[in-house]
Amino acid sequence: MPIPGELPDDVVSSWVDVVGPWTGSVVLTTGAQTAADLTRALLGDHAPELLDHEDVADAFGEIANVVGGNVKAALPGPSGLSLPDVGSAPAVRNPADVCRVDVLWRGQPLTISVQGALPALPAAQPHNEGTAALPENGASL
Amino acid sequence: MKILVADDSRVMRQIVIRTLRQAGYDDHDIVEAEDGRDALDKVASESPDLVLSDWNMPNMTGIECLQALRSSGSVIPFGFVTSEGSPEMREKAANAGALFLIAKPFTEDTFKEHLDGVIA
Repeated sequence: MPIPGELPDDVVSSWVDVVGPWTGSVVLTTGAQTAADLTRALLGDHAPELLDHEDVADAFGEIANVVGGNVKAALPGPSGLSLPDVGSAPAVRNPADVCRVDVLWRGQPLTISVQGALPALPAAQPHNEGTAALPENGASL
Repeated sequence: MKILVADDSRVMRQIVIRTLRQAGYDDHDIVEAEDGRDALDKVASESPDLVLSDWNMPNMTGIECLQALRSSGSVIPFGFVTSEGSPEMREKAANAGALFLIAKPFTEDTFKEHLDGVIA
């Protein structure tokens, strides 16, 4: 297994929030160029010559949605999943509840961080049936 | 036949459409919808034969769209293509009248497994 490299200075993150018995975010972070390369890989033949930010936000956000949906399925439920967001990674709120995996995609580093939120994040939009009631702020999860 | 693909991600709609083609279902008309509300409208206006829908979408979720369809008496075949494939989600989907739930990420084989017999 190769040792993952350092992330470049110019990074972008995509994430989804899980709200339920465990509340937090599933965050993917990689270099801006790698996010663009991932977008091209997903679009395949449909990739335009020039990618715009919207394409990258859509594709990289969708990857967070897929990873986050699978993480959610492994967590105790019922819980809700937010729509994906793309930008600067949400702050780590509870360093004791962070699981981070560093991987390489086509030789480029990408990190996946499953980070718990204490106090709880604001409620995810009710996009989902089964969104659990949020505990009081600061309640232990 | 006509297949309605509903997902708020344009990239994912393209991947679903490409996977349909790769799975051998390449001779069908495809209509796209960008959320559950759009899907509901297009079931009425386009009369598709099958809906493949994401679950988590703005404006109206996939399950809300399915429930609205069934409440209105529609029996259109409806399947989910979603990142959430837990037993709870599968049960909820089946109870609402979905034929199947394909979890992302998927392959063309996953599509064949669920769609053989559904797509003529």
